[in-house]
Amino acid sequence: MKVTIKSWTGVASWRWIANDENCGICRMSFESTCPECALPGDDCPLVWGVCSHCFHMHCIVKWLNLQQLNKQCPMCRQSWKFNIH
Amino acid sequence: MCDLNELWLNVLKIFPILGGEVTFPPDPIKDEVFENVYRQMSNMGIAKTITSILDMEVESAIRNVLVPKFWKHFISEGEPHKVKHDMNIAAFTDTNALFFTFIYAIDELYDAYQCLEMIKPRLFYLNQSANSTSNLNTKITLHNALLAQLPPSFNNFVCDFYCVHFRLFTKDSTLSLNTLDSEVFTELPCSGCNVDLDQCCCQKLTEMVNATNMKLLKMGLIDRLAGSALTALIKVKIKEHINDTCVGIFDRSHLKQLETWINDVVMIWLTSIFTEWKSRDDISQEKIPKSVQAFKVKLTYFMYETFAQNVISQFFSIIIDYPDSSPAIDDLKICMEKIDMRVYLTESLRSSLEARILHPGVNTMDILTGYVAAIKAIRHLDNTGVILEIVTAPIKDYLRKRTDTVRRVVTGLTEEGPTDLSEELAKGEFIKFGKDSHLNEFSDWETWEPDPFGIDPDVLKLNSSKLIRSADIISMVVDIYGSKELFMVEYRNLMADRLLSQLDFNSEKEIRNLELLKIRFGESLLHSCEVMLKDVTDSKRINSHIHGDGNCDESPLFNISSLIISAQFWPSFNKESLQLPEELENEFKKFTKAYESYKGNRTLNWRTVTGRVNIVIEIGERILEMTVPPTQAVIIYHFQHKSEWSIEELSSLIKVPPSALRRRISFWQNHGLIAEIEPGIFALLEKESEKTQFEEVSITDADEEDLESAMASASDQREEELQVFWSYIVGMLTNLDCMPIDRIHQMLKLFASHSGGVEFTQEELKHFLQRKVREHKLLFSGGVYQLAK
Repeated sequence: MKVTIKSWTGVASWRWIANDENCGICRMSFESTCPECALPGDDCPLVWGVCSHCFHMHCIVKWLNLQQLNKQCPMCRQSWKFNIH
Repeated sequence: MCDLNELWLNVLKIFPILGGEVTFPPDPIKDEVFENVYRQMSNMGIAKTITSILDMEVESAIRNVLVPKFWKHFISEGEPHKVKHDMNIAAFTDTNALFFTFIYAIDELYDAYQCLEMIKPRLFYLNQSANSTSNLNTKITLHNALLAQLPPSFNNFVCDFYCVHFRLFTKDSTLSLNTLDSEVFTELPCSGCNVDLDQCCCQKLTEMVNATNMKLLKMGLIDRLAGSALTALIKVKIKEHINDTCVGIFDRSHLKQLETWINDVVMIWLTSIFTEWKSRDDISQEKIPKSVQAFKVKLTYFMYETFAQNVISQFFSIIIDYPDSSPAIDDLKICMEKIDMRVYLTESLRSSLEARILHPGVNTMDILTGYVAAIKAIRHLDNTGVILEIVTAPIKDYLRKRTDTVRRVVTGLTEEGPTDLSEELAKGEFIKFGKDSHLNEFSDWETWEPDPFGIDPDVLKLNSSKLIRSADIISMVVDIYGSKELFMVEYRNLMADRLLSQLDFNSEKEIRNLELLKIRFGESLLHSCEVMLKDVTDSKRINSHIHGDGNCDESPLFNISSLIISAQFWPSFNKESLQLPEELENEFKKFTKAYESYKGNRTLNWRTVTGRVNIVIEIGERILEMTVPPTQAVIIYHFQHKSEWSIEELSSLIKVPPSALRRRISFWQNHGLIAEIEPGIFALLEKESEKTQFEEVSITDADEEDLESAMASASDQREEELQVFWSYIVGMLTNLDCMPIDRIHQMLKLFASHSGGVEFTQEELKHFLQRKVREHKLLFSGGVYQLAK
């Protein structure tokens, strides 16, 4: 007997490759959205800092805008720099 | 003396009643004899005495002879009087004994009455000469005497008599109403006299009846003797007429026709009874007597009442037939304006609804259909919504008890079905929220209507707070549970099931439905559904990107397309798993890689159990091509390399529990590809067996497989929600050592409810805690819970 698979329609869930599950700012899951957004994923992406912490982009941008002087990572207090892959 | 004797004989001749005789007609008396007797009497001065003696005699004759004799006819039953009549009428007599007894008795009474009346002019003549007055009034005496001795069964006789009268009277109209062929008609008995048509004696009967009626009329007895019986009879006739003409016919209005009938038939008939007989055409021009006019008001009222009762008793059928039955509802509306029938309506409708649809023998969809139809029909009847609220309360209560109600409603909303819910949804009316409707009430004050009267004010008060005066059908249906959230959750689950079972990346219809629902229920509740549908369209794009861009260049084993979901927004999956063979898994890894390179920093978690696999099986001479769920595909795939598997072996290899595996293998057993050769050992059947006979079974089986939900059951989801509270409970019990369930419940409500907004009952909490006890995480003793050490 020979079984040939012609096509396979599967189901998968996507997730961020991150070392945490929740955004440290809004406490929502990364796979969910920041409080402002409606659609997850492309519309509400994650960003990483060089300190390796990551947040919803909208959350960290909002956080950085609130910091007048030195822009720090809210988790480790190192100065925040975007880690661009 | 000789003179006196002669005089007395003459007096007796003139007034036979003095001798105790009441005969009719009286012997003719010569005028000279009269003259002679009167003269002599007045000469003797005894005219006055004779007058009073006569008065007394007449009275006693009426009281002791006539009336008892009259009533005796009606008391002695079973022995009808044989009147001299011909054969036909004799045949008629047998069936209508009462009728003829009545006629005979009336005849007799009338004769006697006339005889007594004959005395009057003679007495008057006598009195004239004697200048004295007689207080004789035969009519009144007769009335008094008759009524004083009225036997209870008498009404039956009158009834029977007028029944015949009515039948004769309406004979012509019945004839014209009947649509029967004339040929058929001749074989039927005459509708007037109930004997064969060729021997019809209607003419004779009519004469008899009219004569009797005339006699009654002349004696002034109709009102007294026949009044109540007539009323009863007419009521029966009205009922019969309504039953004959209106029952089961809802698609046209009846009231006009009934009113005409009352006017043209009943009223004219009554007039003919209370006035001297004329032909029908003459009567209609004649002025209807006052008593009959008053009667008419009463009868019209009764007609409305009977008709309304009739309609109400069939209201369930009317509801089912709506909107074809709207003329009937319009009729009822008119009746209700005249007569207060609301309590009767609500009671009767509630009980008929309970008897017809609110029992286990009816499926939920039918109940919903009935509910929707009831909403429409009752709103047509009463747009204030009060009756609706009262009548539909039991339906709502009942539907609340059924577990599949929400699912059925959601299905009804999204699919074409008998409930028209999808149609209603498509109409896209907005829900009028509380504030708006109040505003409307004030701005529309000109069209304001008071609440319907006649309904128990307590019920009104009780309901007024939650009355939905102008809510549309969808909100009425959703209102069954009192919360939109529950419906939306169920909608999401059903949609997830549909998307996962179809997997065709075609969501246009779903999007349309979602848009309609959003208009009605607001966006926030349907947010996750929106994300789910976006996942579907996104997946389609990602798939085509991955396939098209030559990312899977190295000639893949098979095409993979995937529905990539945002797990946070989908209902949670059940916990089934499936381990793929390595070579297949590699293909998925390739797909994942392609995805990762397309969407930076993101990866995929495969849910291998769910999906559809298109496979071609070549076995012996046969080539089977089919689409199966992944587990089935993996099972048959493993049989390629090894044609015999024990269930445990296969189970540990593909990580499917044996019980589930057995169920999946049965799919291939049905196809005749695998057989259980020993208990727990399955082997491939290389040779062609009787597969053809299984063909049909297998298809339905595969369908069933498709229907199996990939989602976690509602109770599982619920427990997951409660899991949120577990850390709170552990904290509480660590601090306070042990607590009873109601304290735990209270504390959780106090501290934890705002965290997720999850509402739960003590009962649910109990289930949850008991599971924890079973998992040895809690101890339960003496009504308190504590942490297991």
